[in-house]
Amino acid sequence: MEPLDIELEEGELELPAEPMHLNMGPSHPAMHGTVRMVLELSGETIARADVQVGYLHRGFEKMCERGTWAQVFPYVDRLNYVSPMLNNVGYALAVEKLCGIAVPDRCQWYRMALGELARISDHLTCDGAMAMELGAFTPFLWFIKAREMVWDILEEETGARLTHSFGRIGGMAEPPTPDFKKLCAAALPEILHVVEEGERLLLNNRIFLDRLENVGAISGPDAIALGWTGPCLRATGVSYDIRKVHPYLKYDEVDFDVPVGTKGDTLDRFLVRLGEIRQSKRIIEQAIARMADHGPVNCDDPRVVLPAKSEVYTTIEATIQHFKLIMEGAKVPAGEVYSYTEAGNGELGFYLVSDGSGTPYRVRIRPPCFQIVGGVAKLIEGRMLADIVPTFGSLNMIGGECDH
Amino acid sequence: MATFKLDGKSVPFEPGDTIIRAADRQGLTIPHYCWHPGLSAPANCRMCLVEILPKPGQRPLSLDILELDTKSGEYKPVQKPKLQPACYMTPAEGMEVLGDSSPHVVRARHDVQEYLLLNHPVDCPICDQSGECTLQDYWLAYQKTPKRMHDEPVHKPKGVEFGPTIVYDGERCVMCTRCVRFMAEVAKDPVLDMRERGNLNEIVVSPGRQLEGHYTFMTEHVCPVGALTTKDFRFKARVWFLRTVASVCQGCATGCNAHLDYDPRYNKAYRYRPRDNEKVNKYWMCDEGMLTYKEAHDGRVLEASVGAVARTTTQALEEVTSLFAGVPAEAVGIVLSARYSLEDNWALLELGRVLIGTPNVYWSGRPDGYEDDILIHHDKNSNTRGVKELAPAARPFQALVDAVKARSITHVLALGGAAPGDASALGAAKVVTIAAHRGPFTELAAVVLPATSWAEHSGTYVNAKGMRQIAEKALEPLGSSKPAWKQVAEVATALGYEPSWIKLKHIRGQLIGSAAIDGHALAVAAGSASAE
Repeated sequence: MEPLDIELEEGELELPAEPMHLNMGPSHPAMHGTVRMVLELSGETIARADVQVGYLHRGFEKMCERGTWAQVFPYVDRLNYVSPMLNNVGYALAVEKLCGIAVPDRCQWYRMALGELARISDHLTCDGAMAMELGAFTPFLWFIKAREMVWDILEEETGARLTHSFGRIGGMAEPPTPDFKKLCAAALPEILHVVEEGERLLLNNRIFLDRLENVGAISGPDAIALGWTGPCLRATGVSYDIRKVHPYLKYDEVDFDVPVGTKGDTLDRFLVRLGEIRQSKRIIEQAIARMADHGPVNCDDPRVVLPAKSEVYTTIEATIQHFKLIMEGAKVPAGEVYSYTEAGNGELGFYLVSDGSGTPYRVRIRPPCFQIVGGVAKLIEGRMLADIVPTFGSLNMIGGECDH
Repeated sequence: MATFKLDGKSVPFEPGDTIIRAADRQGLTIPHYCWHPGLSAPANCRMCLVEILPKPGQRPLSLDILELDTKSGEYKPVQKPKLQPACYMTPAEGMEVLGDSSPHVVRARHDVQEYLLLNHPVDCPICDQSGECTLQDYWLAYQKTPKRMHDEPVHKPKGVEFGPTIVYDGERCVMCTRCVRFMAEVAKDPVLDMRERGNLNEIVVSPGRQLEGHYTFMTEHVCPVGALTTKDFRFKARVWFLRTVASVCQGCATGCNAHLDYDPRYNKAYRYRPRDNEKVNKYWMCDEGMLTYKEAHDGRVLEASVGAVARTTTQALEEVTSLFAGVPAEAVGIVLSARYSLEDNWALLELGRVLIGTPNVYWSGRPDGYEDDILIHHDKNSNTRGVKELAPAARPFQALVDAVKARSITHVLALGGAAPGDASALGAAKVVTIAAHRGPFTELAAVVLPATSWAEHSGTYVNAKGMRQIAEKALEPLGSSKPAWKQVAEVATALGYEPSWIKLKHIRGQLIGSAAIDGHALAVAAGSASAE
């Protein structure tokens, strides 16, 4: 029997060589939140990638312009919903900058401790989820176990596990609970212990390292050109951390290092986050050591801070204050402000415009994720299809933040 | 013009002005409770205190006081400037007045406000004034401090019925006496006064009298706090849910400018408040007028009907077509209404004179009523003058009755339900009426088409002084109603004509200037055009 292809010319058996188009997302399990990638594949190699955000669109900024300034807090909870406390604090700082008020020291330390707890939760979620998407389910459970410990503290403090709405203009909703320091002191070593266990499961695993090393690499100048900030930028070796460079709250009074990477690849991003968890632990320990046990948490500016409920029910002055702040909203002086903090993913900026009324005239968010997602195509073009999962996972895109 | 300086800003003034009035005219508000631009100034609230700098070379007017030195804990004799009430002081050329910029004035305002709240009840959650209360506004603006006196406050009568319309709460009262002065100076019925002294002060009605008459609602309106409330608005709505439009009262030919407050959630009007207009109503309105906001809902025609049976508008228009089939133009009578806007009347006049071509134009409205020399006009229609300017040849209602009795008119196209006299004779004719409210015309009409009230569309009304005033749209049309000028266009189409107006701007374009309509000029005195 003659072979079938004996008469065929060379090349005729090749499959059609047109590039294949593949839609990844917007509802793919590895597409955190909802983001769509239109891929042009040549075999398994990505020839071109078109990353499209906007599938999660709530009109977030417009919603903020409907209520009072204080009613924006529940909305900013839902920006980066893995570390809502950082958003709460960021927004509160922006409005306070516009009002020209400063919160008491006790509140600043409290905000720092809560914020760093949120940062730990953010990094654990990112690193854990990325490992899980590569098949490593156990480390994911380990990291989430550590995150539960963080969330237990936050729940004790705020009453909510995820969306705390705990920030207030001129302070916080409640003072620290009497057990806050004890809870932190007990949980932090435990959290670190669990993280180290999870780490050992991954960093001695050849397959895991091979999937990460030299994958999705970007140079420092390229990352800066894309507007990257946060752990993704620091993984390239650029030591830019707003807490160090433009300190706010009491960050200039605490001792901590800024972990940086060298190659800017997926493994570096993974390791920078693990390093930051350790630095956050250091910051929290210093913050709770220096936070006073007593004293005011809220500033005493009656234009923005609600009076005590016991006073509201018994005196007309406090009733009026409460009424004015709730029904009309705190009157923020007319003007504009840009205020920025280091959130889980990098620079979280709020550009606020006030017309002097009780309602924000404009709330513009500069979410760290938006710029980072803008660089995804650059990272994955020319790589294999399977590299998208660890690369995208290590960028920690949060749908709520990318709402534009 | 002579000027003085308030906090460094130059303020012009006229002879007879007080500092507060001259500043108010420039948009610089000096805080006050008892002063009202339309009333005399008793200078009793002390909120408008200002510091007046001495003339160069003169000694300042000072008071010797003892001030606590917080460092040593001892009282030391010092001097502070004698502050003056801005509502009473007349400015002089070059005078330097300090308000916000004087620490003494800031301190005085704070202390006056603190005293006013000393015995004030914790009533904001149940007070109708809450949200538009001067005490609330000024606490945040000038006091900002919590309560220092925690003793039992002085209690005074609450829920006192002053009369059929007004309820008084002594504990909320700040004793500004605006209500007392209003009744004495504007309503010319000095029925209110105050008794007792100090913190036992309260407002009372003269023994044997009630607070009654035609201007009782104004006492509530001038009250800067929640001490006086009207029974009509009491506990009906919270003011921060209300929206407001500039409206014109439809109660009589005075055409008082008013704010119409309504709740957009329920599409419901809640009250009128006077809108300041020096040329018409100054700062006031009468009780009857204040209550006419209810006519946006009461007595309304909301669905079309044929022979008093409810029908859709389409069915009613079909009935109009068959009723008017083959009727000669001379047998058709057009009835304009002094209760409707210029636009509505223009549309009906256009249909009658130009499209149908009938010479028979009449006008109707409500009968005359009570009048006084303050605001209330005997003509109870809001647009009589407008109708007469639009159609000077229009004949009165009685002429229509006579024509129908004489069988020279068999078909009538009417605007509105109101009639000034007995309309029963009109039953002999086939009457089609476009009405917002029920009345004699809708009772006997063969076809009734629902129109919107003044609150549901923008319309122009000419008051007795000949001033054109626009009442803005507040509510969405109720039921199946449409603006009357739109219903007239529908009738015109049903009768086989092509109306020349589709939008309100087409009619307004015709009304501006003295456009000739079918040979007669729209009389518009250029000087009297005033659309606020």
